[in-house]
Amino acid sequence: MMPAEATREIFWNVPFPWLMYVLLVPTVVVGGWGLYRRLRLWRTGGPAMRWDRPKERLALVWRHAVGQGRTLRRAYSSGRASSSSSVFHLLITVGFVVLTMATTVVMLDHDFGTRIMRGGFYLFFQSLTVDLFGALVLVGIGIAMIRRWLQKPSRLVFTDEASAILIAIFVVAASGFLVEGWRIAATHDPWGPWSPIGYLIAQGSLAVAEPSTLTTAHAVVWWGHCVVTFAFLAWAPYTKLAHVVTAPLNIFFANLDGHAASLRPMDFEADDDATLGVDDLTKMTWKDLLDLDSCTECGRCTAACPAHTAGKSLSPRDIVLGLRDLMHDGAETLLAAPQDDTDNAPALPILQQTGALSAESLWQCTTCAACMEVCPVYIEQLPKILDVRRYLTMEEAEMPPSMADAMTSLERRGHPYPGTRLSRIDWTDGLDVPVMSELDDPGEVDVLLWVGCATALIERNHSVVRSLAQLLQHAGVSFAILGREERCNGDAARRMGNEFLFETMARKNQALLERYGVEKIVTPCPHCFNTFKNDYPTVGGDYHVEHHSSFLAKLVDDGRIQSTQAAEHNVTFHDPCYLGRYNREFDAPRQLVQISTHGRTPEMEQSRENSFCCGGGGGLSFTEEPAEQRVNRQRASQALATGASVVGTGCPFCMTMLEDGVAAVTGDLPSDDAAAKIPADSMPADSMPATRMPAKRMIVKDIAELLWDATEASPDT
Amino acid sequence: MNILVCLKQILDPDIPARDFRIDPERREAVRGSADLVTNIFCENALETALQLKDAHDGMITVLSHGSEEAEDVLRKALAMKADEAALVLDDDAAQADPLQAARVLAAAARKLGSFDVIMVGRESGDWGVGQTGGLLAEELGVPFIALVEHLDVDEGKLRIRRQTDTGTEIFEVTPPVVISITNSENNLPRIPKTRDVMKSYRKPLTTIAVADLSLTPSSDSYFRLVEISVPEKETRCELVEGHNLEQRIDAFAHRVAEIANTTR
Repeated sequence: MMPAEATREIFWNVPFPWLMYVLLVPTVVVGGWGLYRRLRLWRTGGPAMRWDRPKERLALVWRHAVGQGRTLRRAYSSGRASSSSSVFHLLITVGFVVLTMATTVVMLDHDFGTRIMRGGFYLFFQSLTVDLFGALVLVGIGIAMIRRWLQKPSRLVFTDEASAILIAIFVVAASGFLVEGWRIAATHDPWGPWSPIGYLIAQGSLAVAEPSTLTTAHAVVWWGHCVVTFAFLAWAPYTKLAHVVTAPLNIFFANLDGHAASLRPMDFEADDDATLGVDDLTKMTWKDLLDLDSCTECGRCTAACPAHTAGKSLSPRDIVLGLRDLMHDGAETLLAAPQDDTDNAPALPILQQTGALSAESLWQCTTCAACMEVCPVYIEQLPKILDVRRYLTMEEAEMPPSMADAMTSLERRGHPYPGTRLSRIDWTDGLDVPVMSELDDPGEVDVLLWVGCATALIERNHSVVRSLAQLLQHAGVSFAILGREERCNGDAARRMGNEFLFETMARKNQALLERYGVEKIVTPCPHCFNTFKNDYPTVGGDYHVEHHSSFLAKLVDDGRIQSTQAAEHNVTFHDPCYLGRYNREFDAPRQLVQISTHGRTPEMEQSRENSFCCGGGGGLSFTEEPAEQRVNRQRASQALATGASVVGTGCPFCMTMLEDGVAAVTGDLPSDDAAAKIPADSMPADSMPATRMPAKRMIVKDIAELLWDATEASPDT
Repeated sequence: MNILVCLKQILDPDIPARDFRIDPERREAVRGSADLVTNIFCENALETALQLKDAHDGMITVLSHGSEEAEDVLRKALAMKADEAALVLDDDAAQADPLQAARVLAAAARKLGSFDVIMVGRESGDWGVGQTGGLLAEELGVPFIALVEHLDVDEGKLRIRRQTDTGTEIFEVTPPVVISITNSENNLPRIPKTRDVMKSYRKPLTTIAVADLSLTPSSDSYFRLVEISVPEKETRCELVEGHNLEQRIDAFAHRVAEIANTTR
């Protein structure tokens, strides 16, 4: 007889159903303790202001926790997009959300007396939909198992815990299907076909077993399913699965100001004896500690890390995991009363002799922020690295020797190039560039052209700033330079960990800029740009600063610069990290590239926010590295792979790093002549095949050079 | 061991040639945009003293003769962990010749106390005369050993290794003594910790007006600066010709000989 209304009996065939409620108590207690023991560790951390702008924060949670925005992005590894690994995560998550909804429906009907689980809702949702989404969980687990056990991508961490999680999820989902299937079989459920997977199991089981056997098996597996699921729920908060809770939290408390301002401001006046920088886990902020518990061990950060890709020991993933283990192993120390901070040895020292937390690894970071860009749960790896660098530099005066030389030069001469024979005004020879100190009324000047050390003191970049100055003159912009008075604005010092020197330099520069009434700054250096834009406001300097790409793009838009003799070569644009990832300027330089050439403008595999660092940030351009571990060679190969003959950029560090990289990869000597003739394209623009052939030769050009070459006023034609 | 290290502040010798100018009237270099730095050999001397202190304990006083700006040199030395600092304020310090400088330093050293070792740099990076150390020893009436690259303490005596043209000499000296330090790979100046840089600004610094040293003005200096100029360098490029390599080498050799003869 067919029941009038579709539904099923809750707790059918289940002996002692009350026992389930009893078991719920230890499950909640044990699981809750798992979360609470993490929470109380975070609470030992120092202050961090992350409660402002709640609407933005919730929107971020919506996009990246609920919507899994970053999880679903393509991950890159060694310059190539890796196969989409995020599908399995989506299947499991969505599947479990639906399964949880189904359990909630059961609870409402059984424990709260509602009568939802019947009729059409029962058939379409509780049976069909839930069955299919349960199947998605199994598919997802299958993909995850294949990845973890067969493909074994190197960015994963292979722990027993991770394997146990996969097995547990599989057992939970599979046993659920068995319970369903055997109930359908044993009760001859007329609505059985609405649960297709369960129905298949029912049919299969009936072929080999009697309904009475299946009834017994159902009762046993029901309890098995219940116990395994409860055990899983109680255990999960002790594993990386805690990210179900910690990840949304961490995303909520993300740094909304982007990477640029993410360095903790320091107060050198306030507390004389506080350790400078961080060498001790007990000195981290609560957000730092929450970061550690949010890590899912997905390894995207390390896969994206240019230093790691180039074969160095730096691994943001292992930094986070190392700190996480340190946090849990040192839980008692963290929970003990805070010590006073005077000259005590660190309670939980961060620095290790070898491995991810060694000084050697931490000095390999180019501060490119690729790790933070790809982290699905918004962990902030970079500030942690720089906090330790601050400690090494300021408390121990320990840094790689060539960085120490650069730092000493910064202190003495205001630039990081000891031994340079160039002066800051050499590039102006033959150009009539006004200098602030020589003007009657510097206040009349609209724009300060901030040249930057790497542009003024590296000969290759003279052609860049000459092109820029001539473009500005051509467009009738009122500008001047500081000339010999210009001093580094502090980026290099800050990224090498010398916050004290940074602040000293920032104060001197602010006084100088104030003297000339400077309000608007244009600079061809993304590092200077970022420092003025994001770092100076934290030490009391506020300027309207633009990178030359956006400033020139506006001049082009206004018709004040016109490209009348665009070239024919193919140009691929390399995004400088401090312009793109740090300040989200991707389009202006591309616009300039576009109007400078009639040729193709192929993109590298990793571009825009996924750009791969040139290897020169964070003070690394001042160091000598083993040839086989140089980041710039990796990037040069990626640029060459586009088949373009020119790689465009907008950064004096990228310029030299890429030139050296291209020279090393192609066997060409770097060209001395800044206005080097562009090599004939390895193939004409219109015949470029879909599969790109790597270019055999390539030159590096700044966007200002490309644009100047393409304007009518350029004398080069 | 009580050590005095004399430090001189000079115009950064590493400025680009293009930025280096002189004032022929005043017979001195124009400061321009150049920075003032500690003379590198003085830093080698300080580093040597610091190493001696690290190994054997002791007390390091740093002394400079200069303008108010020379305070920077002393603060940096304090940051490197010198114990005390004194500045002989003299706006005309830049014009002082080695003998005048030695007299000022000797008077200041006597005023500051008694020292077992007085260290100076081999020479200054601006004038490079290299005589202040010897004259200082003479003024103080103690022995002088020049171009020292290493020293050690052995039962109250100093074992001193100095460079010579033909090798090294080892001396055993009973303090007090003045020594001039040369640069070696072992005395590259250390980089101070930022914490110590910050603390250095809170340490006391003794200032002595040069007038208070009651030096008798003397006009007996052996040293007179007549004229200074920046040597002009001219570069010309010439290509020698020839049909084959041999001819070109021949032509090249002839041309070199010609030039050598005309400039002889």
